[in-house]
Amino acid sequence: MKKRRETGCFDRASPALKEILLKFYYSHERQSDMDYQLNEFGSVQYHIQVCSQDAHHVYLSISSPLLTQGTFSPNGVSKCISQTSYSNVMEVAENPKAGYPLTIRIDLSKFPQNKENCLKLITSISSLHADIVCSQLKEMLRVVNIQNTSQGMYNKPIKVVLDAKDHFFVVRQPEKTAVVFPMRFGDDSDVIVATTLFQELVVLGHSQSCAKAPPCTWSPIPPAELRGECFDDLNTNGGFMSFDVFSRHIKGSRIDKTVWNLSNFQAYVRHYVKCTRGFVHRSMRKRVESLSEMMLNPPMTRPETSLTKNQGNRRMKILRRLSKAKLLKKKCSGFLKKIMQLRSKIKIHGLNQIRRLKLSQCYSSKRYARLN
Amino acid sequence: MANASRSYLTCIRNTLEAAMCLQNFPCQEVERHNKPEVELKTSPELLLNPVLICRNEAEKCLIEISINSLRISIKVKQADELENILTKKFLRFLSMRAEAFQVLRRKPVQGYDISFLITNYHCEDMQKHKLIDFIVQFMEDIDKEISELKMSVNTRGRLVATEFLKQFL
Repeated sequence: MKKRRETGCFDRASPALKEILLKFYYSHERQSDMDYQLNEFGSVQYHIQVCSQDAHHVYLSISSPLLTQGTFSPNGVSKCISQTSYSNVMEVAENPKAGYPLTIRIDLSKFPQNKENCLKLITSISSLHADIVCSQLKEMLRVVNIQNTSQGMYNKPIKVVLDAKDHFFVVRQPEKTAVVFPMRFGDDSDVIVATTLFQELVVLGHSQSCAKAPPCTWSPIPPAELRGECFDDLNTNGGFMSFDVFSRHIKGSRIDKTVWNLSNFQAYVRHYVKCTRGFVHRSMRKRVESLSEMMLNPPMTRPETSLTKNQGNRRMKILRRLSKAKLLKKKCSGFLKKIMQLRSKIKIHGLNQIRRLKLSQCYSSKRYARLN
Repeated sequence: MANASRSYLTCIRNTLEAAMCLQNFPCQEVERHNKPEVELKTSPELLLNPVLICRNEAEKCLIEISINSLRISIKVKQADELENILTKKFLRFLSMRAEAFQVLRRKPVQGYDISFLITNYHCEDMQKHKLIDFIVQFMEDIDKEISELKMSVNTRGRLVATEFLKQFL
């Protein structure tokens, strides 16, 4: 049985983590031990722990392919956290918990007193993983923007791993950065549905209405920039989608939007495929219902074609052709005949026999002798 | 296009009207059994020549006739890959709900997308002309449904692509 892949969450903040952190915040004065483990999208794991001895500190451990595969160092995480709004309430623990590459200590005592601000802070802490994911790509795109890369760095693809199976390549080129997504799907039908989206993206990406968006291209084979990469990384069934990111796409606050959209692209496509599958299924169900109804309760009227074929009796056909006046005349003819008969001379029964007898007596050539 | 489709459907209708003169006929092989001869094909004398009505290479209809049963197999047009998967999905969806249609065969004849099996019992229970109407209407509806679905999927794709690119602005 094929295992369906989970689709990503389009909210930056993890809803489950947010709920747990809120629970911790409301109950941290009770001084009780609490331990939670969460799994998100099949690859991201959270471990949240509070000890009764140290009720003001929450230990949040995170494990994801991005962190476990060594592409992201603890220093990189510290740097990423320091750039966020919640940097004053948390710090990276020196000794991470067993099985987790990263553990963060959150100080609940430093949380703001205002409830609204506190909720905002918890929401931003819940988006920690999204921030870590985005920070790597953001850094890569910034480097291109500053244009401090050496000539040797160009055309060397960098593989960015998002989860166990999803990854993409960032290729630095003069004046732009190409972000190439190898698209993999579990089903052939999903590939075809996704291809319709890719075609539309390519058409719209080059149109005037979306001129500010990064232009995109799709190819069934790996683009030339990815030559020499590991075969397993380039093994796809949905082709390769490339976005060309120019400096105008990462100016100021636009970089956050661009990075977030590119990081979620694969999840977005999978979500689209899933929704389209559902839409097709719903339409088919409706049509099957109408067809089965038609089978059980067929319409009373027959189509015109079948009526014209059965033309009926020839005499009836002639009758149909006649006009109303003629039909009336035909109907009345019998009645008129009877009237004519009434107006003719009176007939007496037996008179004909007498006449015949008289005539036979007068004109008979043979004579018969009466036998007495 | 509509006229070509109409003549194709009229031809099928006429053939079905001529072919649907089924009668009860017990099985000659097994005693006290009554099986559709068009499926068994054990007695050639009980079978008529099959009629193949083709609109084009991709769209055809095979009508197999026997003394007590009639089998109609339809191949639906599939212009591209999207139409192909939509047709497959839809017809599989229908086949899985075959009990709702009584005359629908769970598995299509090889080389065709969907098959119907009409026996003399169906003709006794239902009106002959309404059965024919249903088959013809079904063929019309399938074409319409596949075209509509294809258009909807493409429209959805365009809308989703627009929304995605709008996020960059």
